[in-house]
Amino acid sequence: MNSRYTDLAMDTREFITHSPEETIALGWTLVELLTPPKIVLLRGDLGAGKTTLVKGIAAGFRAAAEDDVTSPTFTLVHEYRGPAANLYHIDLYRVDTPRQLETLGLDDLISENSVLLIEWGEKFPRFVRERDLEIVLERVSENERRIRLISDRG
Amino acid sequence: MPETYILGIESSCDETAAAVVRSGEQVVSNVVFSQIATHQPYGGVVPELASREHLRAIVPVVRKALADANQTFPSIDALAVTQGPGLAGALLVSISYAKALAFALDKPLIAVNHLEGHIHAVLLEERQKGNRQLSFPVLALVVSGGHTHLYLAMQGECGWSYQNIGHTRDDAAGEAFDKVAKLLALGYPGGPMIEKLSAHGDPTAVSFPPAQLKHRDRNDRENGQDSDQPRFDFSYSGIKTAVLRYVETHGLRDSIEARRRAARAIAQPTAADYLSHCDRKTLDLVASFQHAVVGDLVGKTLAAARASNAASLFVTGGVAANNQLRQRFERDSAMEGLSVFFPSRPLSTDNAAMIAAAAYPKFVAQDFAPMNFSAEAGLALK
Repeated sequence: MNSRYTDLAMDTREFITHSPEETIALGWTLVELLTPPKIVLLRGDLGAGKTTLVKGIAAGFRAAAEDDVTSPTFTLVHEYRGPAANLYHIDLYRVDTPRQLETLGLDDLISENSVLLIEWGEKFPRFVRERDLEIVLERVSENERRIRLISDRG
Repeated sequence: MPETYILGIESSCDETAAAVVRSGEQVVSNVVFSQIATHQPYGGVVPELASREHLRAIVPVVRKALADANQTFPSIDALAVTQGPGLAGALLVSISYAKALAFALDKPLIAVNHLEGHIHAVLLEERQKGNRQLSFPVLALVVSGGHTHLYLAMQGECGWSYQNIGHTRDDAAGEAFDKVAKLLALGYPGGPMIEKLSAHGDPTAVSFPPAQLKHRDRNDRENGQDSDQPRFDFSYSGIKTAVLRYVETHGLRDSIEARRRAARAIAQPTAADYLSHCDRKTLDLVASFQHAVVGDLVGKTLAAARASNAASLFVTGGVAANNQLRQRFERDSAMEGLSVFFPSRPLSTDNAAMIAAAAYPKFVAQDFAPMNFSAEAGLALK
């Protein structure tokens, strides 16, 4: 896993992983960045490795075994409860309007010990405003992924 | 025991369903109101729309199920409702309704796991056919848009119990069908369309390597959990990415965009419409994708059946409606001397008859739900 720091307007850290196992391992190391409460936007196309990364994060929080973390596409919200945090992996692909968002009750999930990992959250200005961290995943080659962590400076 | 009439209600995803089943062995009525048309424009189930449609449909659907069965609210013996897994808001509609009915009618209420329901769809229909001789152990593959699970099913003194011996580590098999259909602009839901188009393509044209699943993860190693217990997990994220890569490397983007535009111009595009906008490469890709997923499901399930000395195999859930899957399972299990059972197509997809059937052993065991139980979106089956 390579890491490099870039000095842009925002604080960006970049990693390259070379296998799903490395992506999962990166997820484990993100746990210390994700002390609750946090709202995290997960961005990446189909097959970019979003669920794979969440496997590592959930396992790192001892909230779920890697194998038990699956795609949230069907039920939209997957919940993983750990001793130090409740993790919510959320897929907003099929949620379009703020009203529809409201009915998902995400506000009820936000609490002192919650970490929300939201796919397609950038569709909603409130999440763009409120997010603590953005994780952007890109497919470089069959097994390589570029994973950028973007947070506001300060 | 006298005949028992159970009214089952199910609204875990995008079908509002109610049914009356007699003593877990005879479907007396079975009403399913599908919301597919509502969700089609979105390419997937929209939770808020689903809850709203369930609210609108539940009363007429339940009334029709009773009327079709020549039953009334006072004449039924118990109510059964899906507790989970599913969409929380959708589940709540039938749970709240069933609770209110049970309270008002002073009838017992039974909470049923949706996945257990799918397994009992098979048992129900076998009993209905007069087949009461079931060889154990039973291995059940529940495969749908939201689930890909392998269970060993056991019948004990106080009802049925289940041991999960495999599940998907990322996408459900049906979800892979939906995502590939979306990627190729073939509409929603993906399964039936891919099945129809696959008949026109060469299933051996593109080879997709089977998913290689590595090692149990470190949590289990650290906790020393059942390391000797063989697992039969599935993974369909890789094949979805492989389809995407094929699209990119074989220049299919333009034809996909053309198809997307053409489909948008048609109110209700049919398989024939999509077929007329598919070139040979796309049809071969679709057929090869289905071939690979079906091969993987059949291969892993039969490996699990061998390892667990299963005597009967159940294949159930929405994806069990796929003909290729049925044929491959029938052919390959016959070679191993294993009996394979499927529900009829109407009972493969979500329905309430399976919920009422799964509730019957619980009724006999007086395993009733407390009035304060609630929906559990991620309910596990044990």
